[in-house]
Amino acid sequence: MDSPGRSRVAVVIGSGSVKCAAALGLFKVLRSEGIPIDLVVGCSGGSLYAAMTAFGWDVDEAERKTRTLWTKELTRRRNTRALLRAVLPGIFGFDEQFGLVDDRRILARLEEAFGEARVEDAKVPLYLTATDFHTGEQTVFAKGRLVDAIRASIAIPYIFQPWKVDGRTYVDGFLSDPMPIGVAIKEGADVIITMGFESPYQTRVSSVLRFAFQLSSITSNNLLKANYAFHNLAHHHEILPVIPQFRHKIHLFDTARIPYVIEEGERAAEKQIPYLRQLVAARPA
Amino acid sequence: MEIQVERRAAVAVLAIAGSVDGATAPALVAAFREEVGGGWIRIVGDFARVDYTSSAGLRALLETVKETRQRGGDLRLAAVQPEVRRVLDLAGFTGILKLYDGVDAAVASFGA
Repeated sequence: MDSPGRSRVAVVIGSGSVKCAAALGLFKVLRSEGIPIDLVVGCSGGSLYAAMTAFGWDVDEAERKTRTLWTKELTRRRNTRALLRAVLPGIFGFDEQFGLVDDRRILARLEEAFGEARVEDAKVPLYLTATDFHTGEQTVFAKGRLVDAIRASIAIPYIFQPWKVDGRTYVDGFLSDPMPIGVAIKEGADVIITMGFESPYQTRVSSVLRFAFQLSSITSNNLLKANYAFHNLAHHHEILPVIPQFRHKIHLFDTARIPYVIEEGERAAEKQIPYLRQLVAARPA
Repeated sequence: MEIQVERRAAVAVLAIAGSVDGATAPALVAAFREEVGGGWIRIVGDFARVDYTSSAGLRALLETVKETRQRGGDLRLAAVQPEVRRVLDLAGFTGILKLYDGVDAAVASFGA
């Protein structure tokens, strides 16, 4: 990254499904306060908002698109064949392309929203993360078809089947790091503004899928904390967590609450502005 | 950031107000060092009026924790507010630091 003569600012949006829309509130505040953004990193649900911002969408447009992109219909059409494969692998055959939800709708919506845009064409350098299914390693998409990068980044285990790009198979970015601050550190950021969310725990474990989700949340939340702790100690300058507090429970497809989610993101961001101004004005010592 | 020092028996209580971040960390580290240098290795950080902490703030805390423990003492935190608590938790600090609801309990913990 070229030195802009001031602190280099990265924004990292981690996983958190619809809660990630709070990032729009954060970006809105950064824009209105004239805080420069030198690179954007996104993971899982956060990859959508990282991309929207890096491509210069305004907040109203991004909010409108979210309401049509991320709805309950996405998971309504089950992948019956996948279910049969899981239950009777001997008869139907089982392979790594497993996902209980038919993913054609999400793919169509991503294509409708982002078309044939490429990651490297973003106005602000954009980095989206996914996880290599075979090695478990984090993969950073800094170029290539944007829809592929996002689809790989949001390949929620058990729900959406893994996504193949150039012969490699990817699953959700949160499986390697739910809040990929390391990417911003590696790309030379000084000030890292980060927003991410812990995966919710199940209130009732009433199915195998909920049981699996619970285990996934336990693992990923501990991974989030372990990585965050390491990045905090390893980074040479500042990491500013912007963590909105939601008074209402936000469910996976709670699109009706998006304006509220954005508002809380805005509120959390506003608190950081005076200190951010100070940080951005000077090069780190 | 404001720091007020109060000594209670063998414990130094530092009441901190404001943000614990890169801008304020040097002053905080200096205050902690002064205490440790003067032999006050049992320190309570009164966080009742701390409203935010960033990575630089966390690193300052960690430095003091290590220094006090190397000398047989400790840095313990009291009255950590929910917003700061969330960051401490996220950064794994609640796994290595002793936190108390109030200053009295934190001070008393050194006598236990």
